[in-house]
Amino acid sequence: MTGRRLASGGSRIDRARPISVRFDGRDLEAFEGDTFASALLANGVVGGFRSPILGRPRGIVSAGAEEPNAFVAVLEPWTDVIVPATLMSAVDGLVAESRPGVGTLVETADRREPRRQHRHVETLVVGGGIAGRAAAVEAAARGDRVLLVDEGAVIDDPPTGDDVTVLPNATALGVYDAGYVVIHERTPDLERVWHVRARNVVLATGTLERPIAFAGNDVPGVMLAGSVAAYVERFGVGPGERAAVFATNDWGLGVAEVLAAAGVEVVRTIDARAGERVVAADGDGALERIVVLDAAGREGSFEADLLAVSGGWNPNLTLWRSIGGDLTYDAARSCFVPRSGPGSGPAWLSVAGAAAGEVPESEPLWVVAEGEDADKFVDLQRDQTVADVAAALGRGLRSVEHVKRATYIGTAVDQGRTSGVLAAEIVNHLLGEDPGAQGPSGARPPYAPVSFAALAGPFAGDRFDPARTTPMHAWHLEHGAAFEDTGQWKRPRYFAPGGEPLEEAVERECLAVRNAVGAMDASTLGKIEVVGPDAPAFLDRMYTNRMSNLAVGSIRYGVMLGLDGMVWDDGVAMRVAEDRYYVTTTSGGAANVLDRFEEWLQTEWPDLRVFCTSVTEQRAVVAMNGPRARDVLAAVGTDVDLSSETFPFMTFRDGTLAGVPARLARVSFSGELAYELHVSSWHGLAVWEAVLAAGEPFGIRPYGLEAMDVLRAEKGFFIVGQETDGTVTPADLGMDWIVNPSKGDFLGRRSLRRSDLVRPDRKQLVGLLPEDPAALLPEGAQLVLEDTGRIPMPMSGFVTSSYRSPALDRTFALGLLEAGHAMHGRTVYAPLPEGTIAAKVIPPAFYDPEGERRDG
Amino acid sequence: MTARRPLAGLAADLARLDAEELPFLVQLDVRIGTGAATTLGFPLDAMGFPLEPNTTASTSWRDTLWLGPDEWLVVAESDQPELLAEQLEEELGRALARVHHSIVDVSAARAILDLRGPARLERLAIACPLDLHPRSWGPGRCAQTVFGAAPVLLHERPDATRVFVRPSFAGYVIALLDSPV
Repeated sequence: MTGRRLASGGSRIDRARPISVRFDGRDLEAFEGDTFASALLANGVVGGFRSPILGRPRGIVSAGAEEPNAFVAVLEPWTDVIVPATLMSAVDGLVAESRPGVGTLVETADRREPRRQHRHVETLVVGGGIAGRAAAVEAAARGDRVLLVDEGAVIDDPPTGDDVTVLPNATALGVYDAGYVVIHERTPDLERVWHVRARNVVLATGTLERPIAFAGNDVPGVMLAGSVAAYVERFGVGPGERAAVFATNDWGLGVAEVLAAAGVEVVRTIDARAGERVVAADGDGALERIVVLDAAGREGSFEADLLAVSGGWNPNLTLWRSIGGDLTYDAARSCFVPRSGPGSGPAWLSVAGAAAGEVPESEPLWVVAEGEDADKFVDLQRDQTVADVAAALGRGLRSVEHVKRATYIGTAVDQGRTSGVLAAEIVNHLLGEDPGAQGPSGARPPYAPVSFAALAGPFAGDRFDPARTTPMHAWHLEHGAAFEDTGQWKRPRYFAPGGEPLEEAVERECLAVRNAVGAMDASTLGKIEVVGPDAPAFLDRMYTNRMSNLAVGSIRYGVMLGLDGMVWDDGVAMRVAEDRYYVTTTSGGAANVLDRFEEWLQTEWPDLRVFCTSVTEQRAVVAMNGPRARDVLAAVGTDVDLSSETFPFMTFRDGTLAGVPARLARVSFSGELAYELHVSSWHGLAVWEAVLAAGEPFGIRPYGLEAMDVLRAEKGFFIVGQETDGTVTPADLGMDWIVNPSKGDFLGRRSLRRSDLVRPDRKQLVGLLPEDPAALLPEGAQLVLEDTGRIPMPMSGFVTSSYRSPALDRTFALGLLEAGHAMHGRTVYAPLPEGTIAAKVIPPAFYDPEGERRDG
Repeated sequence: MTARRPLAGLAADLARLDAEELPFLVQLDVRIGTGAATTLGFPLDAMGFPLEPNTTASTSWRDTLWLGPDEWLVVAESDQPELLAEQLEEELGRALARVHHSIVDVSAARAILDLRGPARLERLAIACPLDLHPRSWGPGRCAQTVFGAAPVLLHERPDATRVFVRPSFAGYVIALLDSPV
């Protein structure tokens, strides 16, 4: 192959700056300013690509985003899975490989760490051609902030101004409601996604030249005429040496003059308006011969290596249509143009220039009658021909939408930029309809392929999702905590400073709480201040039990239901003053509970004088559990009288602890004597350290979620989301006592009376003691009443929590079992691949069922 | 016993970002029934509660940030923040006694950092969807918004953007601020 760089010309290249690029292992010489496609053509690479399905030789067709063939993967100096060579700048040292319209994941990391930027402007212009630049200048003149983007590497004569930003190499991927536009900027040095909010959006997206379906129209060397001119004028490249031009319009035919002026021999022009047409293009891997019918129907053939084709011009309206813009058919130009007026596109969106329909007049010619339909390609990326469209119609399909789905025309990487309108017109033609009877199939974002990495931008790795940490987190890290994710929170699961296994650490932590004392970081508890004269009435409506008669200084446990009557969240309410409660929620439910409070206050009961404020992060919490808890508190130092007589269970006291203000609350999730220590999160770490230091002589240990789980399960305390799954009522949990049906209305009350929620055979919470005290039931194991040995068996329930209990010196579990409350004493079975585990059903209270340990 | 700065572990990152932590400021969340100013003629602006949305009112020692139609954040500096918080609570409580209100000490509920440098707003625009251009943002403005997945409160000051963030989100916010612009 010979080089095809012309002796002169090329507005975009700098002939003084030669560069070298590599394509499929071959070194190519080029100039700065070349696209990768112009570099290929300059080196005589006419074919070089393959079609994805049929494996036919393919070459560069276009000079822009409509390119259906010339896709490459970039390997160096950055990485890209698949990009059109026509839009990619050639830089020195670039290494790329051809791709058949299908990318392959590149394993190496991209040197361009993807970025992200928000931007607000009054006017966003998409497209940097004449119309786009004019719109930008006009907007800047009226004082707008302006952003002008173009998918090409160069925007000629760019507008300037203090508040004017011009972004080449930037593709508008999607236009969304209220002027939100997502833009993908991609250069050799950086990749960035812009999230733009614009008051006005101008689509100056230009026009795309249309191919004509004739036999052999996919042979390398058959190109779009306007693109041929672009290669000559911008890059000083003659894509062929013996050229022919086949066009339905003056612009297309004019390319013959461009070629001739550049010194390329033009052997023939074929004017479709005069009845002339190309009936075949042939060549072995590249164009060699063209067969033509003249106006009188006489066939002739001649040699050529370049055929420039122009079937007319389609305004590029993908973005317009994707946000609800309609099309109308312009018969003079044989193309679809935007329909203006009500109901067509949003008011803030306008279309300018060629995209608005300012394109040359053209004869309608979509498909040449002569030749085999199976050789006339419609969608080069999907290898679909006129015969395939005819076959779809033959199966009874009539809508272009159905034809699209039957053939996949327009669904490939190039999004059907050359094939969409062509396919629609061929459908019209084959159905005997007028041109424009049906328009192209619908358009959706993204306008061009974009990688997930680019869209994610900086939200990757540690920045993918916040990892929320408590004020004591640094201590946990230093003391061998293994962490568990609770929502976004990182919480210690257990402490293994010597790298002990989980079982060993949990046993040690459980025994410390049962026999001495343990401390847990409970800072993640949701906390809300509920303030106002109507706070008591409000909380009565949110919880199933009464909160309005709670005494100041006292604490009450409460459950919240969904409107369906199912357990939704739980926690305690502390009455701080007549008009002030301090409410705790589950760690994962904190935001949802506050949202629910606000929703009911703002939408249903605006008459209630109540304000809710999140104080989750205001206060750190140390939960101290165990018979020596009171001794530890005394050793830490507090001005609160700790005796059970003056400070009984389910009350709280405000005072000082270790010299800082603290709220001490006697609530217990373990059944042991317990205090929750609520302090300013500024002091969280110091109080935590003070408690552990003062507790040392008493055998204190920090404990994590796993031990907390064992301890609460030994007492039969449920956890929202573990024993409940949105189908469990308080009665199912054996907690009818928490529901006060006589106090007035509360959320979920009405549902509790539905017949299905009072059925005696509902799944109910039970305790399970495996007959083999060493056998551990897997959580989630199904329970059956009779182990028939034949699968399937009727399933009566499942295991919700299961642990080894150091205090009981055996395994135990909680489960939901049909009619479970009436099943105490029965044996149920968990058939498992490794053998069946039999377990006795008992009430869900394994340890200290009389509650004698809570006062120490 | 010493209080711990919420951003104590992030000092090196803050320095790299030309940011500075302002630890231990007093922050009070003040809610006032929406009818107070309009119906009852309560002189909220004279009391230092700005009524124009997303603006702040400042005196030499305290800022009041508009957070919502019935919500403000009072921010003040003191060597003895816990004492000042109590005093302020009492003082405001007295002043607002005749209207439905709530005052909650949230001093430790948000860490505070001042972002400096001319590129700070561009850096925030990595993940903050608000328009931070001088046309709609500048000294005296405040806004509750997000920075990526973290809720933040921004207060633009003459030489810095003050960022209020829940301490648990601080590591995430600073890592995101530190991503390439």
